[in-house]
Parts: sequence; structure tokens; C-alpha cells
Amino acid sequence: MHIDPGDVAVLLEEVDSFAQGRVAAMTSRPEEPIPPEHLERLTAEVLALRILPDASDEDGLGLWEDCDHAHTMAFNIGVLRLLGQANAGVAFAWHRYALARAMERALGMDREEDGILGTTILPVGHYGLGRASLARWLIGRELAAEDSELLADWLDRHANTNILFAPESWRSVLWPVWTEGKVRWERRTRQRIDVLLSKAQHGLDEVSAYRIRAMDSVGNTASVVDAPSSVYARLLKLDMIGLTAIGVGAITKGLGMAREFAAIRKQGGKAIDRHPAVQALLGDAEIARNAGDVILGGYERPVDRIDLGRVVADRAGLFGRLCHAASQIVQAFGGVGYMRDLGAEKILRDMTMLRLQTGGMQDLHSFLAGWSGDWE
Amino acid sequence: MTSMPHLRDHLPFDHPLSPRDGFPHLPFLARMLVHYRADDLWQEDTRHLPASMAALRRKARVFAERYLIPASADIDLAPHPAIGQCHPKAHEILVEAGRQGWLSYFLPPPLGAMDWGRVSHAPVMQCCLVVEEFTRACGGLMLLLSAHHLGVMPLLLSGSPGVLLKFVRPIYQRCQRGDPHLVAFAITEPGAGSDAEDGHGAARYRPGVVATPVPGGYRLKGRKCFISGGDLAQSITVFAALQGEGMESWTCFYVDAGSPGFSVVRTEQKMGMRASGAAELEFNDVFVPDDRIIGGLRHGWALNRATLNASRMPVASMGVGFARAATEAAIDFARSCTLGGKPLLEYQDVQLHLATMVAETRAIRAMVWQEARHAWRPRQLRASACKFHATDRAQKVCEMAMDLMGDRASLHENRVEKIFRDVRLTRIFEGTNQINRLSLIEDWQGELLSGPSGPFVTGV
Ligand SMILES: Cc1cc2nc3c(=O)[nH]c(=O)nc-3n(C[C@H](O)[C@H](O)[C@H](O)COP(=O)(O)OP(=O)(O)OC[C@H]3O[C@@H](n4cnc5c(N)ncnc54)[C@H](O)[C@@H]3O)c2cc1C
Repeated sequence: MHIDPGDVAVLLEEVDSFAQGRVAAMTSRPEEPIPPEHLERLTAEVLALRILPDASDEDGLGLWEDCDHAHTMAFNIGVLRLLGQANAGVAFAWHRYALARAMERALGMDREEDGILGTTILPVGHYGLGRASLARWLIGRELAAEDSELLADWLDRHANTNILFAPESWRSVLWPVWTEGKVRWERRTRQRIDVLLSKAQHGLDEVSAYRIRAMDSVGNTASVVDAPSSVYARLLKLDMIGLTAIGVGAITKGLGMAREFAAIRKQGGKAIDRHPAVQALLGDAEIARNAGDVILGGYERPVDRIDLGRVVADRAGLFGRLCHAASQIVQAFGGVGYMRDLGAEKILRDMTMLRLQTGGMQDLHSFLAGWSGDWE
Repeated sequence: MTSMPHLRDHLPFDHPLSPRDGFPHLPFLARMLVHYRADDLWQEDTRHLPASMAALRRKARVFAERYLIPASADIDLAPHPAIGQCHPKAHEILVEAGRQGWLSYFLPPPLGAMDWGRVSHAPVMQCCLVVEEFTRACGGLMLLLSAHHLGVMPLLLSGSPGVLLKFVRPIYQRCQRGDPHLVAFAITEPGAGSDAEDGHGAARYRPGVVATPVPGGYRLKGRKCFISGGDLAQSITVFAALQGEGMESWTCFYVDAGSPGFSVVRTEQKMGMRASGAAELEFNDVFVPDDRIIGGLRHGWALNRATLNASRMPVASMGVGFARAATEAAIDFARSCTLGGKPLLEYQDVQLHLATMVAETRAIRAMVWQEARHAWRPRQLRASACKFHATDRAQKVCEMAMDLMGDRASLHENRVEKIFRDVRLTRIFEGTNQINRLSLIEDWQGELLSGPSGPFVTGV
């Protein structure tokens, strides 16, 4: 089944009504995260609607199943933006699930029957984005000894603890590993991983945080697969684009809430949206949201024609602004913005979580130096 | 080769090109001018304080590390307590804090627990030192202990010896006996948050809590919201307008929480600072006798603003405490987490990041200390500037800590995510940072408008 360019708008309307009618409705109390069984039920619905890739091996129209056309990328981005607007945590869980499926396909791995949301992906190593070393490997430069050393450590799943954010139901994780001087891919079942559930995490309350470590080092098992570096670059692009779409969706929601509130909340003798101080807060949020939309618009083309360096640079520039926007939204609400039952503070926490994913922000500049630099 | 520990891209202290190696070999007089002893920054700063203040800072740190840090995570993770309930660990801390004088240090004996050696130092400065230490350990527990001082502040500032003897002394004495009597400060109403902090807004606001005269006193009716510690307080300084009058009639009433008609109707589930409750209070014809009017009828607005002037520098210190805690957590992380066989601390970008965080933290502390040291009669402009600037920058430092720690920052056990949730409040309460900016200008307008015009004339 394929999507025609003319279908995208109609399909996204359907996704919108599902996102608002089901996802937002089932997560309408921001102070009470959706219980795992409800998330599974909701996931079953979204699978049935084929918004997420289903269990069949056929190419479908689910999220990230087709990334090779402008209009299908518009669909993928639109789906996550709308889901992010409904609930960033649910959107995140589904994004990572769909990405894992897409990656399994790209790697030619058999599909495992591991239940609803049973597969997830951890796209990076134990800290950061592999600095310049990963970038150099991705663009095919010869690696210096220190690059190899860094990547070997970065992707050493046995020696290091990794942090995984996933729904409770995850059964296996797909992750890059370093063997024989290159990045390869391993799908590891939960039974072969030491798993420690974190007591709590900052945001994305709909998933949990796990400290995970492979029980043994990666050998040349059948579950380890080779793939060219472009496959990894493609994954990183899709992951970062997805996180951006979810974030922009969440800010859209927050901005809408804040605008409605500011139009009716009176202080200083008038509705607060008349005060330049509040206009500045809402304006910051709008500017960030618009910047996000412009950036997302630039990704509406075949993913292989998007430069990873550009996506990384966009992420480095945008996420600070999106987090600032979320904080300004909280501020526009005043005291009530700090309360869990309103939902604004959750958007701030979720946005911060999105910023910390996929290596976070710390070494993006270093990555960019490796990506564009031509030092040997 | 050197035996000294050093970072790979920096010279060891015994290298001939290290100034640390060079200074001790300079002539005596030159050594006197340039050769310094490099010590732990906190210890050094503390040593530079007057002895009695240094002792206070040390004592506050010891208390915070011994009592607040161990309880912080559990209380933060505990389910939202029912109205009127206090986490057992928080209760123990209140009792111990009371015994040690942390709930009564705004006055010296025989009324309070302030060391006589400190009476020559501005109480606001003392409070700033304490608040920074407590905040660094736990924002929520700090607020639990500090909201009480905010509640007592109008009583202290009333300038009435009678109020001090009749009301403050018993509060302080009970606290020191280990039977804490907590006081809350209630100005915010559902219809007035900023309008309760800003005169321009107040002038247009129709008061929500109203006091009606009755024989022997007043009856209070209405609601206050978001009142820190209002759920546990035995008494509350409540600001209400007189019946039929506007905000200019605001009067401070010292309300006993046991009074008929008083109830706590709701406590908020907050993003952070979870060890402290934020309560909605209902006054349903609560009788307050005349002798519980604090500072005189219609002086409530002035008393409110004076209280805020006194409390905003300590709020700025919360910012300092959070920035410091975040920086410390980031340093610890950078030392212990390795990548590619070396600690993160070895990477130059990490060093740049940490250097900025340390400088930011020290800059806001310098600002707060500079202002608080002289804050015998805290000026609105100075208090507000400290409050909004320190808390804005503190959030930035917390974000930097999170960036440095990456996805690990989001785990509760690594502390920084809680610090971020906690610090977020400091930009909202005690007047939003927008209102504090306006408050600075309000106070400054005299100089701005009537001073001579032209560049280089208005002092900044
Ligand atoms: C956890 C917590 C604890 C608190 N503790 C206490 C306490 O112990 N005692 C107490 O009395 N109160 C307390 N407060 C209340 C706090 O001081 C108020 O929340 C704060 O002053 C903001 O008021 P508000 O919530 O009504 O927001 P609003 O006043 O409605 O503000 C909403 C937005 O409008 C902006 N705004 C409002 N008026 C103007 C204006 N005139 N010009 C420009 N911009 C404007 C604000 O900056 C803000 O961005 C607490 C609040 C919280 C969240």
C-alpha cells in the first residue's frame, strides 16, 4: 500500500482526529500518566489504523515506513507533529517503535513477535553523539586511533550503562555496537540485558527510564548485522527529525493553551495578553514554533537527500529555543503554570527530555566539526 | 614527567611554565602581591566573611548536609500527601530545625535564636547565607523552612514591640522547644497574583478577601491560593481589604488556623519543591480579634511590599543555591563519567561549559551578597533586581548542567532534574520575574524622571 501525494492532507486529518479524539482524550490528566495497559490499548488502535507499522512484512503507510519521497516524509513528520501535540510521551514511544521497525527492515532482520511495543531502539552510545569520531566514521574518513578508541567505548554495551526510555512492554532493543572496527547492529532481547528501572525520570511520563547493560560482550552472533554507514546516518536523521516534530507539536499545544489563558486572565486591569511582558513570552513561543515548522518543512524530501550535518545543526539551534518556548509558556500562566494538573509544566519537562535524547546537546558542535571538517 | 595530577591539555603546577610554579620563586615582595593559596572556593569565600557570618554559613551547611540531603529524594518522590499531612521525614526535619534555631533566627535571644555576634549584620544577609545552603541540599525542604520566615516577616516588620512579645516570642519559643509553630504568608488570591505584588495592578483590582468589622474585631471572607506552608501552618498573616474599600485598605490580620470558618480546601500538585505544600485557604467568616491586626488598619499594602522587599533577596539566594547544586552535580559527573577512556573533564568543551557555570553561579552570588550585606532597609529596586536576575541565570545554569549530563540528567537519582523542577518556581513566586522587572522600574522612576537628563548622569 502506498500514499499518493494528494492523500497526505486527508490522511493527516484522520491522524489529527485520532490524536485529539483518542490520544489527547486518554491522556487528558497531565498529572496522571497513562497506565501501561491503556497505552497498549491505544497502540493497538493506532496499529489497526496503520498509522504505526503493523506486524505484516508488507510495505505500508505507517510511520517511517516510507521515507523516500517528499510527500511521505511530509506524512511522517505530520503524524509525529500531531501526536506530539496530543501527548509528547505517547508520540515518543510510537516514534521509537516505528523507527525500530524501519531499522529492522533496512537491516533485513526478521521480524520478531514480541508483542505490542515490544521492540525499541537506542540510536546512540552511552554518552553524547560520538563527538567528531562518529561523524568521521559516518562520512567514511579513515579513523585515527583515538577515534576508534572513542567509538569502541561509546558503543561498548557490556562495559557501559546505557539509558533507555521505553514503554514498560519492551522486549528487545536494537542498538549500534562496535565490532571489527566498524559500527554494526545488534538486536538484543531483554533477557540478555541487565535492566534496572529508574525510580523516576524528568518527563515523558508515559515511558519509563531504564539503565541497561548487555550481560555479555557482543560476539559475532547471528543477531549482529552489518550495514553501511549511510544506514546509521539515515537512522540518526529520522530520529532527530522525529524528535523535532514531536517537540514542535508540543509547543503548538502549549502555545494554544497559553493564548487562550492569556486572553481571559486579567491582571493589571486588563487581559494579560495586552501586557507587553506577556506578549514577549507568547511571542518567544511563537517564534520558536515557527522556526521549528520552517525547519520541519525543509525535511519534506527524500531522507537520503537530507544532509545529516544540517539536521544536527538544526537540532543544536532549535532545541534550546523550543525549551525556552516551553518555559515561557509556563511563565505566561504564572503560578498555575507550575501545577501538574494544568499540563504546561509537563510540556516543559517533555521538551527537556526530547532535548536530552539521541546524545543530547553537549557534543553536537564537535560532531559538526567532524562532519564538515576535512582534517585528517 | 610530573607526579602532580593534572588535566592532559593543561600544564601541571610543577611545570616551569605554570604560574603556580613561578609565583613561589619570585622575590618576597612580589610574592606578597601575587602568590596565592588556592583553596576550595566555598571555604575561601566563607573565610572572607565576618567571623560570625562565616560560622552561620558553616552551621547551615552542616545542618543541610546532615538532615536535608538524606531526606530530599524520598520526600520528592512520595505520593502527594493528603491535606494537613506531613511526610514523617519532613516533620522530623522541622522539629530538628526548630531546636537548632533555624525557624527563629531573625531575632536574638531572649526572643529568637540569632547569635548575638550577628546582630550587627543585616538579617536579610544572614537569611541569604542560610537559604543558599538549604537550597543546595533540597529546594522543597528549604521552602518548607523558609516559607515560615515569610509568614513571620510582617509581624517582625510591624515595628510593634507588643506584636513581637505577644506573637513572635511564643512562635519562636515553641519552635526552639522542638514543637514547631509554622506561620504562612497569604497575599495571593485566585483573582490576584501579580495584582497582589504590583501597585499598578492592585489599584485596578477588586479585593477578593474582605474583612467586615464586627464587635471586637473583623470577620474575614474569601480565598487565598498557592500559599506555601498554608497546609501545615498554625497561623497565617493574611492580607485583606476592609469591606467596601479597595486595595489601599489592605490590612494584615494574624489568623489562627484553628479559628472556626478557616479551612484548607486544596493543596497543589506541583512540578517541584514538593516537600513544601501550596495550599488554597478558605476564610468563611473567620473572626479575627482587633489585637491581631498587624501594623495597623490600612497599612497592609505597605507591610506587604516591605515583606517582599525583605524576602526577594533570599529568593535570589535560592537561585544561587540551585545554580551551585547543579554545578556541583555537573562537576561530579564530568569527573566520574568517562568517554573513550578518559573522564569528560578532560574534554575542552566540557571545561568551557563548567567554567561558564561556575562563573555564572559566582556572579549571581556576588550580586546577592553585594546587595544583601547592606540591606538593613532593603530597597525594592535592589531586591527585585537580585530576584529576577539570579533566578533567571540559575535556571540557565541548571539547563547547562542537564546538557552536560545528557540523558543521565533526566534520571531522578542524578538530582539535576529535580533541581531544574525546583528552580523553575523561583521565577514565578514572590512576583513573577516580569513583575519584578517592573517593580525595579517603579522604584527607580523618581531618578529616571526627575534627575538631570543626558548621558553619564543616572547612577546605575
Ligand atoms: C508554588 C507556589 C508557592 C507560592 N507561595 C505563595 C505564598 O506563600 N504566599 C502567597 O501569597 N503567594 C504565593 N504564591 C503565589 C505567587 O506569588 C503568584 O503565583 C505569583 O505572584 C504570580 O501570580 P499568578 O499566579 O496569579 O499569575 P498572574 O498574575 O496571573 O500572571 C500570569 C502572567 O501574566 C503576567 N502579568 C500579570 N500581570 C502583569 C502586569 N501588570 N504587567 C505585565 N505582566 C503581567 C505575569 O508576569 C505572568 O507571566 C505561590 C505560587 C506558587 C506557584
